[in-house]
Amino acid sequence: MLAFILRRIMQSVVVLFVMSLIVFSMINLVGDPVDMLVNPESLPEEIDRVRRDFGLDQPAYVQYWKFLTGALSGDLGNSFIFGRPALALMAERFPATLELATTALVIAVTVGLPLGVYAGLRPNGWGARIIMGGSVLGISVPTFWLGLMMIIVFSVILGWLPVSGRGETAVFFGIESSLFTVDGLKHIILPATNLALFKIAMVIRLTRAGTEEVMAQDYIKFARAKGLSSKRIVRAHLLPNILIPIITVLGIEFGTLIAFATVTESIFAWPGLGKLVIDAIVNLDRPIVVAYLLFVVALFLVLNLVVDIIYAVLDPRVRLQGEEG
Amino acid sequence: MNPTKLLSIQGLRTEFPTPDGPLAAVNGVNLEIARGDVLGIVGESGSGKTVLGLSIMGLVDQPGRVTAGRITFDGTDVTNYSEAQWQGLRGNKVAMIFQDPTTSLNPVQRIGAQMIEAIQAHRDISSDAARQIVREAMVRVGINSPDERLEAYPHQFSGGMRQRVVIATALLNAPDLIIADEPTTALDVTVQAQILRDMRRLCRDTGTALIWISHDLGVVAQIAHRVAVMYAGRIVEQGATEEMLKSPSHPYTVGLMASMPANTPRGQRLASIPGGLPQLSNLPKGCSFAPRCTHATEACEILPDLCFTSANHAVRCVSPLHERGQHATGD
Repeated sequence: MLAFILRRIMQSVVVLFVMSLIVFSMINLVGDPVDMLVNPESLPEEIDRVRRDFGLDQPAYVQYWKFLTGALSGDLGNSFIFGRPALALMAERFPATLELATTALVIAVTVGLPLGVYAGLRPNGWGARIIMGGSVLGISVPTFWLGLMMIIVFSVILGWLPVSGRGETAVFFGIESSLFTVDGLKHIILPATNLALFKIAMVIRLTRAGTEEVMAQDYIKFARAKGLSSKRIVRAHLLPNILIPIITVLGIEFGTLIAFATVTESIFAWPGLGKLVIDAIVNLDRPIVVAYLLFVVALFLVLNLVVDIIYAVLDPRVRLQGEEG
Repeated sequence: MNPTKLLSIQGLRTEFPTPDGPLAAVNGVNLEIARGDVLGIVGESGSGKTVLGLSIMGLVDQPGRVTAGRITFDGTDVTNYSEAQWQGLRGNKVAMIFQDPTTSLNPVQRIGAQMIEAIQAHRDISSDAARQIVREAMVRVGINSPDERLEAYPHQFSGGMRQRVVIATALLNAPDLIIADEPTTALDVTVQAQILRDMRRLCRDTGTALIWISHDLGVVAQIAHRVAVMYAGRIVEQGATEEMLKSPSHPYTVGLMASMPANTPRGQRLASIPGGLPQLSNLPKGCSFAPRCTHATEACEILPDLCFTSANHAVRCVSPLHERGQHATGD
């Protein structure tokens, strides 16, 4: 296990390095950030000074070298706009995004899993047809449109929930989160549900497929031949077997929730990473964009590792490479 | 009702609906089995022998179901049992063993847990007590150091070992009847012989009746007191094993025996029955075997009943072979 983790970490460093190279060269091809930073009416000397101050007058490889040496000591550069370290800005926004992504994931699993199992157990029933039809909608209706509709219905017409923003936060066991206040919960319901809809549909489809596959297995028939109740068969034999692929997919999906919640965060003005990076892209705030992309890569590397470890724990047949077999 | 009969099946019909109308995988089967009896059911793939076994367990997969006939177990009519009533019977009074031991066990659960749950489904006893019963059952089927084995997962066992685990599981609640659906087919020949010997011994020791389903007449001959041959959902010949092997009467049984490797001289091609099973959706009007039968006549267009030719031998054929003085192994 340890050897496996160590090898994975070494691979991760290589991946991160290559990614930084790609991201850095790509971003140098897009626009000139100085245009965004200075008043268009400024004198040429003024513009040159700004360019020098940010080190943008130097050749790209020198800029990259400076970035790389900085990155190794944990400094991913300062935001052009805010003038503060990119990492610090991201760290400020990260809890809000994490909270939103986690809530969405919990909703997706608690709603999707039971519905998927139900649809898989009675694949030809009316319930299953309604569930599967709903899941097609969940997958095909665009997130931004649904988000807007939810705001119109629940906030504007019914007036039950706030339109946007993150509510009050409270500290509980040393964690600051809006999940611990009523106001915060009210604020998170809409964006989290919006973000979860696609994932609910996905979890339903995965669970349904897994359930149908596992229920046809001989060990389910043998379990029935032992005289076990349906409840026991679902809990002891069905769920442990379908959870293996579901957890694998959800691990990666959790990454996409954190990394690509940008649309939902923009619609609901959720002060998370997604909003930060969208603003940074618009303003050509290179250090933030680079730091964000590297963060996303690192996030997926970690999630993949965690999923592999969970996989090995859940499935006794799986041996991680490098483990004594 | 004859009190010595453990299981009695009358006119059993199990159908699967299809767009072209229902298919009867089991088509009017009558069977009786006494306590401690070993009945072999022989037939080729698709003859309905597995569905017959599942029907007795109330385990026919939806949308298939038993549409006619009666199953009486230990004096009680179980044909219309609810799912909850079946659950009380399955694994308790009647147990079933399936063909492929590599897929009969849940891959992500420990062997011990899978066996203990079979006991706790029917008896209100502590896990420790159940564990003790499991341990003894494992020793009985020849698994050494059971404590270690209980903590193992199925993939750590060989095929033969897994089938022993399955058999031990079936025996846990001392059932009156075990239905074994080709339990040795997936195993290699030496293991097959061991399992066969063990099953025979275990059933004799515990007085458990056994229905042994197989496509292999040779295997059935080694274990069964009586044999029933199935073809296209019907029993075509039934009788005491020795008598039937000595003088098989139905042309299909004769064909089966002729195609056994043991009955074929070395170096000679194995005999085979020309043609294949008829489609259940398109059964011939009379005898289902008539299209493949070399002895078929016009008389075969009316379905014959299963008629006794001696006290222990019944055959469904208008002109049973041995009555015409033909040799069992054919020529």
